[in-house]
Amino acid sequence: MGIAAAEFEAVGEVEIGGSDRLRQLNDDISDAIDRAYHALVQITNGERSIGAGTIWHSEGLILTNAHVVHDEQPNVTLNDGRKFPARVLYYNAELDLAALSIEASGLPTIEPGDSKHLKPGQWVMALGHPWGVRNAVSGGIVIGMGAEMPDIPFSSREWVVVSLHMRPGHSGGPLIDTAGRLIGINTMISGPDVGVAVPVHVVKKFLKDSMA
Amino acid sequence: MTVLNELSNAMAAAVENVGASLVRVEGRKRMSATGVVWNSDGVIVTASHVVTRDEELHIGLPNGETVAATLVGRDPTTDVAVLRTAAKNLSVPHWAGGDGLKVGHLVLALGRPGQNVLATLGVVSSIAEEWHTPAGGKIDYYLQTDVTMYPGFSGGPLVGVGGEIYGINSSTLLRGVSVTIPTTTIAPIVDTLLKHGKLRRGYLGVGSQPVRLPAALEQQLGQETGLLLVAVEPNSPAEKGGLMLGDVIVALDGHPVRVPDELLAGLTGDKVGKDAKVKLVRGGQIHEVNITVGERQ
Repeated sequence: MGIAAAEFEAVGEVEIGGSDRLRQLNDDISDAIDRAYHALVQITNGERSIGAGTIWHSEGLILTNAHVVHDEQPNVTLNDGRKFPARVLYYNAELDLAALSIEASGLPTIEPGDSKHLKPGQWVMALGHPWGVRNAVSGGIVIGMGAEMPDIPFSSREWVVVSLHMRPGHSGGPLIDTAGRLIGINTMISGPDVGVAVPVHVVKKFLKDSMA
Repeated sequence: MTVLNELSNAMAAAVENVGASLVRVEGRKRMSATGVVWNSDGVIVTASHVVTRDEELHIGLPNGETVAATLVGRDPTTDVAVLRTAAKNLSVPHWAGGDGLKVGHLVLALGRPGQNVLATLGVVSSIAEEWHTPAGGKIDYYLQTDVTMYPGFSGGPLVGVGGEIYGINSSTLLRGVSVTIPTTTIAPIVDTLLKHGKLRRGYLGVGSQPVRLPAALEQQLGQETGLLLVAVEPNSPAEKGGLMLGDVIVALDGHPVRVPDELLAGLTGDKVGKDAKVKLVRGGQIHEVNITVGERQ
């Protein structure tokens, strides 16, 4: 025992090592997620999780995909646990976007980012509830943007295509940049490691056109 | 600036910089693939399997122009093809050897299957010794990554976070994994193709099959099998060098020959016209003969 304890102490003195910059990198990643996390909501029908949503306006405007709320009676669960029945305010199947309204105010929102000037290779993260697992994050980079991406259906529309794990349950959740800003709404999968999001500038136009 | 931002910007910058040297390769019926500028003379390197035709090839330049290209040559065994275009002032990227590259390093796979440069991220999964592709090509070192090979990425580069190119990616050399043909393997192939239009292969002129060696020889030579000569072509380098039916080849230039693939792999183009030392077993005795290697036509 004595020997084992001595050995243990010796090991205890050894520097674990690693890099301060790598630790800083991890902290930066959590900071970005912290800034966006509270704007992520879960959308359910009864007890069934049907997808994710993103708080757009503090007075109860929630964004999600049209396919998430199609033929559903959606409820919205906030990250603080409160649950609200939701009304589908705007719905556009072609853009796969929907805006929901809940009777709440003072909700935490997310800062919109610049989706018109994304660069292939830049770091992004997708927030959502893949397979119903709450508040999960996956990370990767932008593969490319715009219309006419190879292998993407509805290729005449604008997309952000990302190299990360996206799964059912991510739909409607935020895609964020390194500063935790919203650059897209997670929408579909085009391969096991390829996710597709609607860029936030398309979301803005959808809301503007719907309200007009 | 946060470290995350720095990393993100560095990756985006690497994509942008290397992207200036990436071209779209239109050489097959279905989707276009990617090629990388090799030098300022308009030489482009790509994957052989994405160039299914020998003529009517086109290259999409980073500036959006589409220009004609010709096939300089190809090596299907390593999945390398070399094209030439008349376009000048192409941006030549930094082609790097594998020194310093380690398992776990971040790497990017880039492609230009359409107008724009696309990128995926991964890590180096495995670096190992020299290997032979199923088609018999010799690859300097094994380099496997977990980058996603997005459609049209074949022929595109594997890029380090500093923008250096470690080789070109192929989705077909091995099924189900992303392997990279290293720069050090590509360079001599490009040189040979530019010089001769094809890869030279050495030639002996024998037919052979593997046979089990007698126990004593097996122990002495450290190998279980050799190649029994079942045919020697008239006037071939083998016949001129004195090889005979029934001889069992056990080594070529010091490398053991146990199966026919090892003899083929040993007869590289640089041996053409030179003497090769062939170790063989004849009448139970080990002999060594010099044979002037011919060129496979």
